[in-house]
Amino acid sequence: MTAALGAGQRANLFADRHFKWLVIAPSIVVLLAIGLYPLIYTAIVSFQQITMAEENTAWAGFDNYGALFTDGRLWLSIAHTFIILAIALPIEFVLGLLMAQLFLERMPLKQVFVALLIIPTVISPIVAGSTWRLMFDQQYGPINQIIGWLSGDPVIILWLARPEWVYPAILICEVWQWTPFMFLILLAALSNVDRSLIEAAEIDGASFWKTFFKIVLPVIKPVVVIALLIRALDLFRIFDIIWAMTKGGPGTATETISIYTYTRAFREFETSYAGAIAFLVIVLLSVIVILALKRVEIAK
Amino acid sequence: MRKATGIKSLLGALAVTGLFAAIPSASQAESAADIAVEAAKKYAGTELTVIWEAGLQSLDPLNFSGPKWEELTGIKIKVVESQVNEMFPKMMQEHRAKTGAYDILNAVPAWLGDLVRAGALEPLDDYVDKYKYREELEDIGDVYRLNQMKVGDKIYGFPDDGDVLILYYRKDIFEDPKNKEEFKAKHGYDLAAPATWDQFYDISKFLTDKFAPAMYGSGNMRARGLFHYFFLERARVEGCRFFDAESMKATVNGPGCVKAMAGFIKENTTMPPGVEQWGAIESLAAFNAGQIAMTQWWPPVGRWSAGYGADVEALSWVPKSVVAGKVGYALPPGGHPELAAGFSMAVSADSKNKEAAYLFIQWINSKEISLQRVQLPYALRDPFRKSHFSAPSYQALWPDAKHYLAALEAGAKSGVLDLSIINTFAYEDTLSAGLQAALGGEDPQKALDGVAAEWDKLTEKVGVDKQREAYKDWASKPNAYPN
Repeated sequence: MTAALGAGQRANLFADRHFKWLVIAPSIVVLLAIGLYPLIYTAIVSFQQITMAEENTAWAGFDNYGALFTDGRLWLSIAHTFIILAIALPIEFVLGLLMAQLFLERMPLKQVFVALLIIPTVISPIVAGSTWRLMFDQQYGPINQIIGWLSGDPVIILWLARPEWVYPAILICEVWQWTPFMFLILLAALSNVDRSLIEAAEIDGASFWKTFFKIVLPVIKPVVVIALLIRALDLFRIFDIIWAMTKGGPGTATETISIYTYTRAFREFETSYAGAIAFLVIVLLSVIVILALKRVEIAK
Repeated sequence: MRKATGIKSLLGALAVTGLFAAIPSASQAESAADIAVEAAKKYAGTELTVIWEAGLQSLDPLNFSGPKWEELTGIKIKVVESQVNEMFPKMMQEHRAKTGAYDILNAVPAWLGDLVRAGALEPLDDYVDKYKYREELEDIGDVYRLNQMKVGDKIYGFPDDGDVLILYYRKDIFEDPKNKEEFKAKHGYDLAAPATWDQFYDISKFLTDKFAPAMYGSGNMRARGLFHYFFLERARVEGCRFFDAESMKATVNGPGCVKAMAGFIKENTTMPPGVEQWGAIESLAAFNAGQIAMTQWWPPVGRWSAGYGADVEALSWVPKSVVAGKVGYALPPGGHPELAAGFSMAVSADSKNKEAAYLFIQWINSKEISLQRVQLPYALRDPFRKSHFSAPSYQALWPDAKHYLAALEAGAKSGVLDLSIINTFAYEDTLSAGLQAALGGEDPQKALDGVAAEWDKLTEKVGVDKQREAYKDWASKPNAYPN
């Protein structure tokens, strides 16, 4: 009896100590299964020689990783990705901030306008890309027609066929779709800034900009960083919009890293090499995210 | 007595003749379609999944052949639709993952080699003999039967779609005496369907100069995923070879190839603004609306521009033809139209129900059923059997249908095959990207140099010797290069 009670107590003690682990264990197992397993499998495949022509699982050592360094199209696709990221992210942030600032004020039908403004964000990117492809169409699209009306002369701009126009077209679509996301996050952050601090600064004679940079921005900084990080990661992985609009063309002019990886994996069936590219992307993104988080001291 | 014997012999002979006349031959009694239906009844209650090109193509199994097969056999046909340029990756992904997702593959013939090498297709010879289909296969047009049915010496697919890119032109414009006179005065030869690409440019420019913007001389597809078919045809007409057969170095950047690409760019100046982005719909719409005088297209434009199927709901999106009765049919300049894409019906090696799948494709591909299918106004299956080209029912569909069928048949004889080597899809994809760069303003030589470099990399990956063997096999076919 004593021994049985002892065992029961020990069991209770174990349950008390490890209850939190028992509760979260199923989630961890699921996350590992759906997150870690593919990662490990991709890593294994990247060291093999599997292509469409051959399901050769013989080890290739670091051949695929070595090939990454001499693959000019890969590095060009990374450059295209950073170009889009470097232009789209600041535009989305600035526009989102301006809109959020505007909507901080009281205005009639504010909620209706906010709801309307976030509609682009809830549309599937592939649908958004397809819609904008039609909008930019020379024959049937309204964009050239509107420009023609404004300029007074018929306009022929081959938005998606000419290299000099294709980036503006993609960026317009991208900014249209994702600025509302930035707006929404920033509106929430700005709404939580203590109004008394701002009013005190105004009473002390601080200008709008000084108040914004010295009081508002430090308060909303963690949210801004997270918003920028989320959008930066999304932009680094950008695929749907570009695939729908140009499929990476003309030529390879708008081929981003995601499109290039997809092409190698599912159009040229270089499975193992695509695995190596995927790992390169994971490493690149992980380094960027860790550095960003460390810099703003969020992930302590 | 001798007379009586003679009469008896005559009567006997008549009796025997009458007897044989009364007993139908085996082929009359049981067509390949009937045989397939009878044999398939034992699989009633099962379901077969087929991957088919999305859109109008799929209306055939969705609205016609699928329901009819189910009614006859009790086997349900489930159609998985996919964009044509996503079909091959999907077939390969499902095969590699061994999901058995598809029983029947509606595959572009140029992919057959890759699918067979990957083990994705079931050889059909035994079924063909078992279900007495060999004789009906002989009726399939030679170019399709000899080039798009077998891999090695085994049958893997039944050619099922006579895709060929012939030229459609406005014969009322071409036969107008004033146009003829002005054109001859300017160019020194008669205005007629162009026999060369130089003539095509002359005619297109002449008509554009005279009629634009109401009507342009021509308008052709330039969109990625389509344009490479036009390039592959014209490049070969201009003397281009895709590879050096010994070294297997890509020669797609050779003089003939560059000349072809430069020609396309030059002709764009005679076509409607924005033609660089035109896909199939834009050129179809423009031709039916009378906005262009010439276009090169797959066979359906010949039917639709004649007004065939104009009252069918599924075709309500097709712009109403204002050129019915005014359309002429000809081989494209050079006389060697691309046998672009097409489809072959094949059985997946991963199917759990291979025999039922085979019976469906025998039935659907048979003389009797295929004739009905190629006459569906909304479907995109085009005549591919000798009996289709000569079918009175087809020839009576519209006044010029006979000429249309004659042009398709001529194209099927002189047409050139899509490139089909190991990893064809990747080579085509890379080519498409390079051609788009050239259309986007890059120098044609530079763009094709880029394609050649990418092709060389692909060949290295496949293995030069293996690819050489595949290429030589393809290049040895009579319709690989123009004679």
